[in-house]
Amino acid sequence: MAAAGQTQRPRSRLGDFLETRLKAGELFNALVHVRIPAEARPYYLGGITLFLFAVQVVTGTLLSLYYKPTPETAYDSVKFVTSVVDFGWLIRSVHHWGANLMIICLVLHVVRIFMQGAYKYPRELTWIAGVGLLAATIGFGFTGYLLPWDQRAFWATTVGTEIAASVPVVGDALLNLLRGGADVTEATLSRFFGMHVLVLPLGLGLLLVVHLTIVHQLGLANPKHPEPRPGVVDRDPPKGPERLKPFFPDYILDEAIAWAIMLAVLVVLASVFPAGLEDKADPLKTPAHVKPEWYFLSVYQLLKLVPRIVGIMAPIIAIGALFLLPFLDRNPQVRMRWRPLAVLVGLIAAAATVGLTIWGQYS
Amino acid sequence: MDHLFDRLERGTGMTRPARLGLLLVVLAGLGLALAQGVGAQSPSPDASAGPVATTQPSPGSTASSPDANASPSAQPSEAPFPPPSAKAAAPNTCYACHSAIAAPQRAIADKWQASVHGQNGIGCADCHGGDPTSDSITDAMDPAKGFIGKPTRAQTVALCGTCHSNVDRMRQYQIPTDQLVKYQASVHGQRLLVAQDVRVAICIDCHGSHEVKKASDPTADVYPLNVPKLCASCHSDPKLMAPYNIPTNQYDLYQASVHGQAVLERQDLRAPTCASCHGSHDAKPPKSTEVVQVCGKCHTATQALYEESKHSQLAVGPKCWTCHGNHDVAQPDESRFFHPTETAFECTTCHNPVDRTLILNADRFAKDADRRCDTCHHNASQIYAQAQGIHDTLDRANQAYLKAQARVKEAAAAGMIVTDADVQLTEARTSLIRARAAVHTTKLTSVATLADAAGATAAEAQAFADARLQESVFRRQAMVVVVAIILFNVVLFYLLKRRIERDRKVA
Repeated sequence: MAAAGQTQRPRSRLGDFLETRLKAGELFNALVHVRIPAEARPYYLGGITLFLFAVQVVTGTLLSLYYKPTPETAYDSVKFVTSVVDFGWLIRSVHHWGANLMIICLVLHVVRIFMQGAYKYPRELTWIAGVGLLAATIGFGFTGYLLPWDQRAFWATTVGTEIAASVPVVGDALLNLLRGGADVTEATLSRFFGMHVLVLPLGLGLLLVVHLTIVHQLGLANPKHPEPRPGVVDRDPPKGPERLKPFFPDYILDEAIAWAIMLAVLVVLASVFPAGLEDKADPLKTPAHVKPEWYFLSVYQLLKLVPRIVGIMAPIIAIGALFLLPFLDRNPQVRMRWRPLAVLVGLIAAAATVGLTIWGQYS
Repeated sequence: MDHLFDRLERGTGMTRPARLGLLLVVLAGLGLALAQGVGAQSPSPDASAGPVATTQPSPGSTASSPDANASPSAQPSEAPFPPPSAKAAAPNTCYACHSAIAAPQRAIADKWQASVHGQNGIGCADCHGGDPTSDSITDAMDPAKGFIGKPTRAQTVALCGTCHSNVDRMRQYQIPTDQLVKYQASVHGQRLLVAQDVRVAICIDCHGSHEVKKASDPTADVYPLNVPKLCASCHSDPKLMAPYNIPTNQYDLYQASVHGQAVLERQDLRAPTCASCHGSHDAKPPKSTEVVQVCGKCHTATQALYEESKHSQLAVGPKCWTCHGNHDVAQPDESRFFHPTETAFECTTCHNPVDRTLILNADRFAKDADRRCDTCHHNASQIYAQAQGIHDTLDRANQAYLKAQARVKEAAAAGMIVTDADVQLTEARTSLIRARAAVHTTKLTSVATLADAAGATAAEAQAFADARLQESVFRRQAMVVVVAIILFNVVLFYLLKRRIERDRKVA
């Protein structure tokens, strides 16, 4: 984001009051009054994900005021929030849909970055931090899914953690670490709750600071031209000087419109399809069709189709490759037409993941 | 011992010195066995065997006197059978040759090997006789060594009974030993043993011959879920049943019945198959007077209620089958009380036309549509009025339940949490089931108490669901308002953006 300070406007009395005490005007100007490439097409996916994270923090905090993390009380406390507490159903339903939408937007954000080649020099660390954010978000979903302690939560976690047991060498230890024992018990609930409200928020918060700081420092990537550096030839060089537009208010206003629309979507989903609650978890009563959460369905389905070792190693290698993508893909070009192999591999991986997810859902 | 000598002499034509030599060998073997602490009659799997061929039972003799073999008291003293494990250890030349002859023979040999008998060392010679240790065809299949080839159907029953009536032999497998006795008391057994009718079912018709499987094996024909089809394989065949003049539609009726649907469609092992009511080895239709006990074996609570009723006190009163039928038992509900339209009333259904004493004309209940209260009770009678009262109170409760169920379903479909209403519905349904069962008492007060409780609980569930549905409507109305406010803000943001862009162009 090419920094370009703007002319200082006269401050209000409140502005004077704050500036006198905080001396934060320059920092604020440096953060907000910057310019970005006019050709940037971010589709607001990163910003929407950030908005949804904020929604999750607010609704999650409210839910934690009522939630009791033991097998005896968890289900009843969630039922109480949903059925008795004023607007508890809304808070819980927004939290439920916010989690799902956050994962969807984050995945789409990753796809956008991949297709625009925005992970390439000099944004490798931004990408790695971003993939870390994706992992943390999925971790949020996975740990949060168990907390209502109903049949769906219990058995989805049972089969979900079972996937971890397939990892070679450390599978059993990993399963034990996740569950806090051989089975899904109160130990699992305690550690999932701890992960969900302490470890993951701290981890995600730190990664988010790193990610946003680097984004600010480097600015938005130009989807048409690679970052200039010695030895790299732009195969489609710009015809004139790079066109820029102000981050504030232009981009921020667009982002605000996107957030407002997402808020409306959340309200509609929460009202029309409120978060449900099945029967209380019963370890002795296995439901007919046990499946993990939808974002694990592709791995779950793969495990059913191929030998176990292949089924678990394929996603592990894929995650590893995703982290190291900027270092594996050495092609400096960013336009899709100049990087057909990467685009083809990406499309195949995306189609396989979507296909396996749909297959897993209906199998 | 003389008996053994006689048999050896008749069977083998041995000279006396040869017999003495053989006796010495037998005695030496016996002594060795005793020295190892194992009695020749012990059923222990560890028992080492005496010579197999010499202790082979004569199939012919067992077939001619099955009762003697069936008698539990006679078993221990006259059971010179080597234990199965001993036979398993002995060379089985039958299998070796027959599996090498031709495909059909090999198939038989393989079936035996996979069977429960093959797995437990019950060899070919145990049923067919002969010497399984000899590799000479003439010697191994020598009639003098007890070889009988394919046993006759009567022989087969006795052969199976030889082992399966032996308590000592069956103890290790923990299976009953009363099959032969029961079979002899069954219609099948009576026809075979008394009327010499070899067309009736014998052991191998249900269990198979070489391929005998455990009854607990789901692939076995005698596994409970497969029993209806097994019985139907004969009883639905008009040609086979023609000589006996019995109907062949039982399977069709059973298949459509509440019992048949549970067994055949839902694989519910708790539901009755043919054998549950008729018996298996002791198969025989239960008598009219026995039906209450037979049904009561599962429907215990209903039987107790029935026994409180006036019906049970009548010598010729209605039994379970009168209202529910037998093979075609349908799901009971309130429609079973009365004919939908007024029907021709026949006094002779329940009264002897000569002296007016009570009777029960079974033919009047042959059709399911006639198994109704008003088949016996005239619509102007006091008892009919009582039946009407029972019907109405049940119908009210059922309607309340169905209405509540629909509302709860509607609320659940709207995404509302209705677990409390589900619990109430379950309670209402339980009360309704109990009220329906109380019909067997024929007492209005017993039924009404339970039916009213069911109706009241259903009403609570409905009130809960109504409240949830109202809340759902409020949520959606509020949603429209909130979304409208958000979209208004979106429009404001958009207009602001346009204004900024316009101002920038002007500047």
